[in-house]
Amino acid sequence: MRHPFPYEHFRNKSFVFFSLVGTLPLAPALRSRLAAAGFQTAQELLDTGPCGLSKEIGISREEALEALQVVRQECHGDAARTPGGSGATRKCTALELLEEEQTQGFIITFCSALDTILGGGVQLTKITEICGAPGVGKTQLCMQLAVDVQIPECFGGVAGEAVFVDTEGSFMVDRVVDIAAACVRHCHLIAEAQQEEDHREALETFSLENILSHIYYFRCRDYIELLAQVYLLPEFLSEHSKVRLVVIDGIAFPFRHDFEDLSLRTRLLNGLAQQLIIIANDHKTAVVLTNQMTTRIGQSQSTLVPALGESWGHAATVRLIFHWDNSQRLATLYKSPSQKESTIPYDITVSIPLGWRFTDGSTLSAVKEFSGKSDKGLCSLSVAFQLPSEGKQ
Amino acid sequence: MVVLRAGLCPGLTEEMIQLLRANGIRTVVDFVSSDLENVAWKCSLSYKALVAVRRVLLAQFSAFPANGADLYEELKSSTAILPTGSPSLDQLLDSGLYTGEVTELMGAPGSGKTQVCLGIAASVSLGLKQHVLFLDSTGGFTASRLYQMLRAQTEDEEEQASFPGALQRIQVVRVFNIYELLSALQELRDRLSQQVVSSVGPLKLVVLDSVSAVIYPLLGGRQSEGLALMMQLSKELKTLAREFSLAVVVTNQVTRDGSTGPLKPALGRSWSFVPSTRLLLESREAPWEKATTQRVASLAKSPRQPTGVQVELDIGNGDVLEPSPVTPAQGL
Repeated sequence: MRHPFPYEHFRNKSFVFFSLVGTLPLAPALRSRLAAAGFQTAQELLDTGPCGLSKEIGISREEALEALQVVRQECHGDAARTPGGSGATRKCTALELLEEEQTQGFIITFCSALDTILGGGVQLTKITEICGAPGVGKTQLCMQLAVDVQIPECFGGVAGEAVFVDTEGSFMVDRVVDIAAACVRHCHLIAEAQQEEDHREALETFSLENILSHIYYFRCRDYIELLAQVYLLPEFLSEHSKVRLVVIDGIAFPFRHDFEDLSLRTRLLNGLAQQLIIIANDHKTAVVLTNQMTTRIGQSQSTLVPALGESWGHAATVRLIFHWDNSQRLATLYKSPSQKESTIPYDITVSIPLGWRFTDGSTLSAVKEFSGKSDKGLCSLSVAFQLPSEGKQ
Repeated sequence: MVVLRAGLCPGLTEEMIQLLRANGIRTVVDFVSSDLENVAWKCSLSYKALVAVRRVLLAQFSAFPANGADLYEELKSSTAILPTGSPSLDQLLDSGLYTGEVTELMGAPGSGKTQVCLGIAASVSLGLKQHVLFLDSTGGFTASRLYQMLRAQTEDEEEQASFPGALQRIQVVRVFNIYELLSALQELRDRLSQQVVSSVGPLKLVVLDSVSAVIYPLLGGRQSEGLALMMQLSKELKTLAREFSLAVVVTNQVTRDGSTGPLKPALGRSWSFVPSTRLLLESREAPWEKATTQRVASLAKSPRQPTGVQVELDIGNGDVLEPSPVTPAQGL
C-alpha cells in the first residue's frame, strides 16, 4: 500500500497543475496574497482569469494581467523544456555531455605546466578564479588569455573573441600589444616550419589589429556598474556569438568597501556567481575572475586566504592560487572538478618585441615553451614581457 | 487555506458557495469548523447536503491513517540501500544511501563534495544499473571526470562496453536559480506520478549539487522570501524522497561564526531539519603545504549511527573514491 498522493485529484493531468503558487517567480507580496486567497496551483490562477483575479485578491487588473503573463510564460517554458525543446541545452544525459566536453577546446595559457595542471588550459563553460597577492601576475595571465582565445583553430586555438571587464583599471593596452605581437609572431614561426595551406590562410586575418579589435573592454568603477554589466552581458554575448572568454579582472575590488551590511554583500555576490554560471553555460564561454588575498587571523597563526569570504569560494568551479615562495612564483590548483590539486612553479619571462633577433637565452626558452617543452621544470607564463629580467635569477 | 470552489467536490454547487460566502464561510477550514445546523438554518440550505459535503471534504483533505505493521511492510518492500562506491563512506552511512531520505554533504570549497556526488552517481549508474538525476546548479558537473571514475571502477573490457549505457542513465539538468530548480523537481514528480519513467527505467537517486548556490542569492539583505522558497524546496525534496522511494543527496556550504569559530553548515537552523543524514567533508592540510591532501568525512547527523564517526576519503588520485584504509572509528 502507498500513502495517498497529496495532489491525488491532479494526478492524471499535465504537470502545469503541479506548479504551485509558492514556487512561481512572482513578487513576494503578491505571492502571499495569492496564498491567503487560497490559490494553490498555477492552473487555478489561469482558470480564474485577470478580472476574477483582480477581484479575488484586490489588485488592479493590470497587475493581475501581468501576474498571469508570468504564470503562463512559466508553464509554457516548462512545456518547452521537454526533450527537443528550446531548453534542450540545459537538460541532457551524461553521455551527451561527455561528447560535448571532448569536442570542446581549451584556451591555452602558453605555460605548459599550467596547462597540464588545468587539464589542457582554461576550460570553456566553467568559471576559473585566479587568486593572488598584488604583483604575482593575475592581470598578466588575463591579458594573455584575452589574446590566446583568438588563436585560429588550425593552430589549436578556439578562434574566439574576448570580453574584458576591468574594475581596477589595471588593463594596459600596450602590454596587450606586446603579447599579441608575440603571439602572431609565434604563429608565423609555426606556419613557416610546417608549410600548410590552412595555416597561411588563417594567418592572413590573424593580425595585431584584428586581435585588438576583438577584445571588448568594459571599465566598471563600482559594484553597481559591475553588477549591471554582468546582467547585461547575455544580451551582448548573443550579439557577439564568437566570444569565448569573459574576464573580470578584480571581482573583489568593488566589493571590499562601501558595504555596511555584509549579508547584502553575500546576497549580491552569490547572485552574481549564478549569473556568471549562466553566461558560461549558455554561451559556451570560459569565465575568468581574479580575486585578491586577505589575511585570516587564526588562534596561533594567520594565513593568507582568498578574499570575499568562505561562501564565495564555492562560486568558481576551478580555483587557482598564485603565491610567492621566496622569489619563486608558484601556482596551486586549489579546486577543480576534473583535475587533482597540484602546485607548479612558473616564471614571467622577457618580451620579444616584433623585429627583435633571438639572441638572448631567455627569449629562446620562451619560444621553446610555445612548442610545449619545458626545461628546468620551470615554465614561462607569457612570451611577451616588458621587464627584461624579472623572474630570472 | 483552500477556498471553496465549485467542482471541489461533488455536491458543492456555485449557489451553495455564494450563500456560504454571504455568511462569511470562504474556505474549507471555515466550512468544516462551522456548526452545520446553524449554517443550514442561516443559509436555508439542506442540512443533509451540507453534511455530505463535509464528509467528502474531510476525506479529501485529511491525512490517511496507516498502522505500524503496514508501514513496516512497506518499508521492507520499498526501501533500498544504494552503495556509494566507497567502502569508507558506506561504513559511515550504515552501508549506503537509504531511499526515502535526504542526505546532505557539506564542506568548504574544494573539500570534495562534487567529487563524492560524481562518485555516487557513477556507482549507482554502473553498479546498480539504476537511473540517476543530477541537478547541477554550480556548473561543476564534469562528464569527463565521471568517465574517469567509471573507468577506474573496472578494467574488464566487457564491462567497459556498458559505459555508454551507464552514462546515458545519468540525466543531467542544469538549474541556475531556485525557480528553475523547483520547476525541474515538479516536472520530475509529475513524470514519476504518471509512471512515465518506467519506460526508461527506475529512478533511484536524485543528486542536487548544490542547494546553497540557489538559495544564497535570495538570503540576506533583510529579504524574507528566500526562507519561504527554501522551505518550499525542502518540502519538495522530502515529498519526492518519500513518495517515490528516492535517495536524495544534496550538497551544502559551511560557514563559521567569526573567523575562528568551528565549521557549521550553511542555511541555518530551519534547513537543518531537512536532511536526515549530514556528512561533513574536510581536507586536513592546506594543499600547497603538503603534496597530498588528506580528506576526512565525519558524520554530523544520522538517525542510525553515532555522530562524530570519522573515516578517511581518497578522491584525489585522478581515479575514484578508492577503497582506503579506514581509521578506527572514534565514536562518541
